[in-house]
Amino acid sequence: MPQTTIYVAPRTREQTPPPAVATQELARLFGRSAALAGVSLRVEAGATVALLGPNGAGKTTLLRILATTLRPSFGTALVDGVNVAERPDLVRGRMAYLSHATALYDDLTAAENLRFAAAMRALPDPAAAVGAALGRVDLTADADRRVRGFSAGMRHRLALGRLLLGSPSVVLLDEPHATLDADGMALVDELIAGWKAAGTTVLVASHQADRVTRLADGWARLDGGLLVQTGGSGVSETAPAMLGQALPVANA
Amino acid sequence: MNDLRAGAAVALAIAGKDARAELRGRQIAGSTLFFATLVLLLFGFALGPDARRLAEAAPGLLWLAIVFGSLLTVARLHQLEAEDGALEELARYPVGRHAIYLGKLLAGFAAILVLGGVLLPVVGILYGIDLAPAWLALAATLTLGAIGLAAVGTFYAGVTVRMQAREVMLPLLMLPVIAPLLLATVKATTAALAGNPLGDLAAWLQLLLVFDVVMVVAGATTYGHLLEE
Repeated sequence: MPQTTIYVAPRTREQTPPPAVATQELARLFGRSAALAGVSLRVEAGATVALLGPNGAGKTTLLRILATTLRPSFGTALVDGVNVAERPDLVRGRMAYLSHATALYDDLTAAENLRFAAAMRALPDPAAAVGAALGRVDLTADADRRVRGFSAGMRHRLALGRLLLGSPSVVLLDEPHATLDADGMALVDELIAGWKAAGTTVLVASHQADRVTRLADGWARLDGGLLVQTGGSGVSETAPAMLGQALPVANA
Repeated sequence: MNDLRAGAAVALAIAGKDARAELRGRQIAGSTLFFATLVLLLFGFALGPDARRLAEAAPGLLWLAIVFGSLLTVARLHQLEAEDGALEELARYPVGRHAIYLGKLLAGFAAILVLGGVLLPVVGILYGIDLAPAWLALAATLTLGAIGLAAVGTFYAGVTVRMQAREVMLPLLMLPVIAPLLLATVKATTAALAGNPLGDLAAWLQLLLVFDVVMVVAGATTYGHLLEE
């Protein structure tokens, strides 16, 4: 009987898709206290991951570093294979971030706020993008009202609408359900589901563990600035080699 | 070329946004103008009714009033960004840091130019000076002075915007740096009013131009560091 040789191709780096987010021993100090004390986290591209943990766990600090707002004190953070400390300019074009603050200009109207954001992102058809975003967050009727007169919930929805301008590959959400009523929370859930369906990577920091874990593929729990546990799919603790694999995919 | 065009579009968008917000919050622009006019009026009272003395002091008093008004203006333009985390959001847009600086500078320049444009005739009326023969030289001095003030003010407003005592720190940091600008603008204004367009005036305007170029380049290359924590 002739012997059959089965050739098994060696596993190459190209076959392993780079993670959307990878951190290695990421730390951030404020004075002498560490808000983040060495977090090594890997989030797969297209995954929706809930960041859980009590107040002061380091969730916001982690998101702010990934969003290029804070520089890490130690360690490395990559978004789409790009080092956030070395090429923050490249990361900014691939990422959208919803922070605690809505970052709106009170004396501008809702539409003007989004038009400004569209201009900053150099969108090809800003008017259409702004109209669609306002419609998506149910603020079309208030488009020409100044933001100064908006309720906290309306401001939050407008900030969510700003995330819809452009097509980021990674969306970072910090307490997206805060200050929203039931309809607003449902809207956030719909937006997350939409990003998930579109293959966009989403990191959601939230105290509403039940709600976000229902939406997410996986979760990571932080406490005291440390990654204490991960679960589900799409998220894991970074092995040192994984970060090395991600580095070569950085491109302009 | 595309980068240049993109940077210019970003700077114009930021300046346009600031101008719109300032015009809508009219009480701020109005109170700055009122404050600067009041400064001129009080200086006039302090110097007494001697017309010659007032005319001699007019260039210095004019530029002190413009400097005081500029401090309020550039601080306010950055305060817009400090409210509700807007500065962090601005820093997260995928745009060049120099374009953000130039946008804020442009807004500051326009506001200071308007301030100077209003204060010049006020000086003429209060201190009894005929400005008409020197209008071109005065316009050039005002333009170059406004660029320098906006360039320095925008940078230091960025430095102080996150500080608790920013209202105190901004003048403390900014005033020593603009001393050469103040000297050059006062001398240029004096030369212009004396009808000396080709003598001292040209030298002082050249000094102002050099000051502006140095400050704009220094601000544009270093401002980005102020946006990061």
